[in-house]
Amino acid sequence: MSDTTKTIISVRNLKIGYGDNILLQNLNFQVQCGEVFMVLGGSGSGKSTLLKNMIGLCPPKAGEIWIEGSNLVTADEDQRLLLFRKFGVMYQSGALFGSMTLLENVRLPLDELTALPEPLKELIALAKLKLVGLGDAARKMPAELSGGMQKRAAIARAMALDPRILFLDEPSAGLDPVTAAGLDLLIKDLADHFGITFVIVTHDLPSIYSIADRVIMLDNRTRTIIAEGKPAELRDSTTDPWMRRFFNREPEPSHSAQLN
Amino acid sequence: MRAGCDGAGFALLRYLNMGRMTPQATVSVLGLEAGLENIFRGFTPEDYKAFRPPSRMKCRSLPDEVGHWVRQAASDLREQVEFFGSIAGNLPAALLDRKRMRWAETRRVIELAGANAVPIISLISVLVGMIIAFEAIQPLSQFGAQIYVANMIGLLMVRELGPLLAAVILAGRSGSAFAAEIGTMKVNEELDALETLGLDPIRFLVVQRITAGILLTPLLTFYATLMGVIGGVLVTLSLGYPLTLISHQLTSSVHLRDVALGAAKGVVFGAIVSGVGCLRGLQTEQGPSSVGISTTRAVVTSILLIVIADATFSVIYFYMTQ
Repeated sequence: MSDTTKTIISVRNLKIGYGDNILLQNLNFQVQCGEVFMVLGGSGSGKSTLLKNMIGLCPPKAGEIWIEGSNLVTADEDQRLLLFRKFGVMYQSGALFGSMTLLENVRLPLDELTALPEPLKELIALAKLKLVGLGDAARKMPAELSGGMQKRAAIARAMALDPRILFLDEPSAGLDPVTAAGLDLLIKDLADHFGITFVIVTHDLPSIYSIADRVIMLDNRTRTIIAEGKPAELRDSTTDPWMRRFFNREPEPSHSAQLN
Repeated sequence: MRAGCDGAGFALLRYLNMGRMTPQATVSVLGLEAGLENIFRGFTPEDYKAFRPPSRMKCRSLPDEVGHWVRQAASDLREQVEFFGSIAGNLPAALLDRKRMRWAETRRVIELAGANAVPIISLISVLVGMIIAFEAIQPLSQFGAQIYVANMIGLLMVRELGPLLAAVILAGRSGSAFAAEIGTMKVNEELDALETLGLDPIRFLVVQRITAGILLTPLLTFYATLMGVIGGVLVTLSLGYPLTLISHQLTSSVHLRDVALGAAKGVVFGAIVSGVGCLRGLQTEQGPSSVGISTTRAVVTSILLIVIADATFSVIYFYMTQ
């Protein structure tokens, strides 16, 4: 393929779900190197499940997920470990290890998976924390931090091994607008200066408009992708009533009809 | 007049509408504000009927219930066997891998589950030893055989009650803690985080706990045995028998093979308690209530498996010494 030099993730004919329940099917999309790519959709549309499939925590029902030229779906245990080194994940709750300080959290992947000398590992971990604005909190426990700080620390841990891709699961959920905007800025900086590719699952409109390069929209009814492109263009050009409501933050007509 | 209504009012109007209070009565709702009228129309008797289906076939028949239960128990058993199999496969390699073994964590678990359990094990074992001695004196004295209380306490404690007490206390104190700890990590997505960092939760969390369990349970078993024997000896002493006689009875009845049996039980029970605690933690589903369920299941399954293993030991020992 000619565009493989720029494509970092390629999802082909993916079908996902739990048990007999198919959540999404016929998923085909590509993520380009260095872009901020967002997966949008209503609650219950399968966004988070799609993410779980893309990071290899859930086996898909069918299809392929290619990350930097290796198929995650058919990878054996060794290949999976190599693939895990290529991306970092920030979970919705942060998922920091509660029994370790922030520095130990960020150091853990370095301790377990590299043979670097001790002081260097500490320095790398501290640098990552500094990068997300938490240089002063290195000795704190996760429980001592606010939600926004925990998410920043989780990004620092996800970046510990300098992956080329970061997956973020609803980074702005539960944050106030100022903190959420700060997180957006951080994401943008990391993408611009370090060339990290971001795949973000969200439905937070302000951050979609401010940092997304490209989005895909998942749909509950057709159970597949109904649109792909730049968010502002999709908002202005869409003829789909549900997408128009999504981008303009309007309620479902069935609900408003009851009131009118 | 402006008619107003709240949520419960709507429900009451529908209730009357459905003829539930006065059969055949018709209710007309007039004069509701347009907005309220729409909300009222949005909640129809059909909603209620859909919510509560009239048939009561939800209750399963007895064979169905039994079949369901057996199937669940079988799949649970299969998971346990698979889990212990994968642990047995992983353990030797993990123990030899000094860098990945995290001995500090193992030491921490040994301290929490072992050293910190010493006071409660002392108390319970001494009391159990005394209780058994007291209960046995009465029937034995009918044959003038009170002094054999010492023999009985020695054998019972070394072979049965020492390992059993240590394991049951370990299950209640630490098996449950393992399940709650790992279960909470699962709920907080920390296990997912471990996996995507390329760290296997079994290598990272489970191996340390099982190693600690296997190392510390024989020690706790010896300790519980010793305390139980002390309790029994105290009672025997209070009956006026000299210590030399009691110790002669003890040493003549308890052999090295009995002590070895107790230690072997300790190793197996330790593996069961810590393994089941970790397995139940890993099996935790979503939400805080599932952590509670995992903790309960950890203790119940541990004790059940301990008793089954104990019975197996008894049978094997019986045929070995015949």
